[in-house]
Amino acid sequence: MSLDLALSTILSPIVLFFVLGLGAALLRSQMSVPEAFAKGLAIYLMMAIGLKGGVEMSKASLGPDIFILAGAALLLSFLLPFLAYYTLRLSSKMDRINAAATAGHYGSISIVTFVAATQALQLAGILSSGYMVAIAALMEVPAIISALLLARRGLKKNGEVAGSEKGELFREVMLNASVVVLVGSLLIGWMTGETGMEKISPFFVTPFQGVLCLFLLDMGLSAGRGLRQGWRDLNFGALSFGIYMPLLSAAITAILCKALSMSLGDTALLITLAASASYIAVPAAMRLALPKAKPSIYLTLSLGVTFPFNLTLGIPLYILLAQWVAS
Amino acid sequence: MFNKKRIELIIEKPAFKRACRVFEECGVTGYTALPCMAGYGNGKRWQRGTDLSASRDMVMVVSIFDENLLPKITEQLENLIGSHIGVLSVSDVKVIRDDKF
Repeated sequence: MSLDLALSTILSPIVLFFVLGLGAALLRSQMSVPEAFAKGLAIYLMMAIGLKGGVEMSKASLGPDIFILAGAALLLSFLLPFLAYYTLRLSSKMDRINAAATAGHYGSISIVTFVAATQALQLAGILSSGYMVAIAALMEVPAIISALLLARRGLKKNGEVAGSEKGELFREVMLNASVVVLVGSLLIGWMTGETGMEKISPFFVTPFQGVLCLFLLDMGLSAGRGLRQGWRDLNFGALSFGIYMPLLSAAITAILCKALSMSLGDTALLITLAASASYIAVPAAMRLALPKAKPSIYLTLSLGVTFPFNLTLGIPLYILLAQWVAS
Repeated sequence: MFNKKRIELIIEKPAFKRACRVFEECGVTGYTALPCMAGYGNGKRWQRGTDLSASRDMVMVVSIFDENLLPKITEQLENLIGSHIGVLSVSDVKVIRDDKF
């Protein structure tokens, strides 16, 4: 039964389209999805998942459990970069600045991995809570603070970079597109409930799976191109970090979920969130806050190694782990 | 025709607004920013739109201004590209309308 679930996740259209994009990019195909269209797809997906989560939240009563879970998720996102930093430094001998910037990515989350996990759960008939979208949004930011704390010790005080503006990093971190769209859609879904959703469901519910396939085709292309361009900057220790770190995060989160007695669906989603790595919000923040860190290192790892791993093998593994923990 | 200086700054997109602020604070009368398509540097090829964060994209900012602003602008931009990925070049140009620069 569990292996059937794993196989059906791996062989789902969304994963296969991702593999198609990845393969095409690695084989140097000229295929591409127009940039503005890809950004539009990302906004659409975040709106759809936010609305869906908000509607689910409007139907359920929110108890103290949610606040405990939110606190645990924030703490997890804040602490995981410390583990990532030291394991990365140990396994790859990476310098402090690059290790700190990379660690920040591994405490934050990938919303696309989260969406893919919700689809896999839906396919398996496993229910999850709508408020997990809010948990995902909460986990975007704390890791950036951890990365800055970790990097601070490795930075020489050279004064301010020319053209810097007070509050620009705060705006980048707190008001980046994914946080604004996700939290905003969640609140709109929560406020308007099922009645509001009925009016827009032909646009946000019915075509969702198809749009996700198209988006993952583009993500496959991005991951493949990123891997092709950046793999030379990574040694074996760093490349393997892209695989073992999500597994380490997943194992720690599984213990936490067991302690919190979470449901199967929510356990699988929290494990997936902790095991995923950011490639939208954190890279942009790192370019402003830690410009000396190389994007070719952290983006290649999060987008070129961890994201494909999570999407193909990680999610089925995390669901199996959740089943084991919740049983 | 009047002699002026022209700066071409190619800088990573996340730092592009910082570069714009430098130009504005130094008192130039105008600048133009253009997206860069692709390139090669440090032994590696790059192209725009590789990832959704756009943190590997590059932008070119062009500005023409009076020579007396050059030391201040170059000092500030040197500081900027000391931290961020970028290339700065300065050239002599001639313009028709002196009052516009």
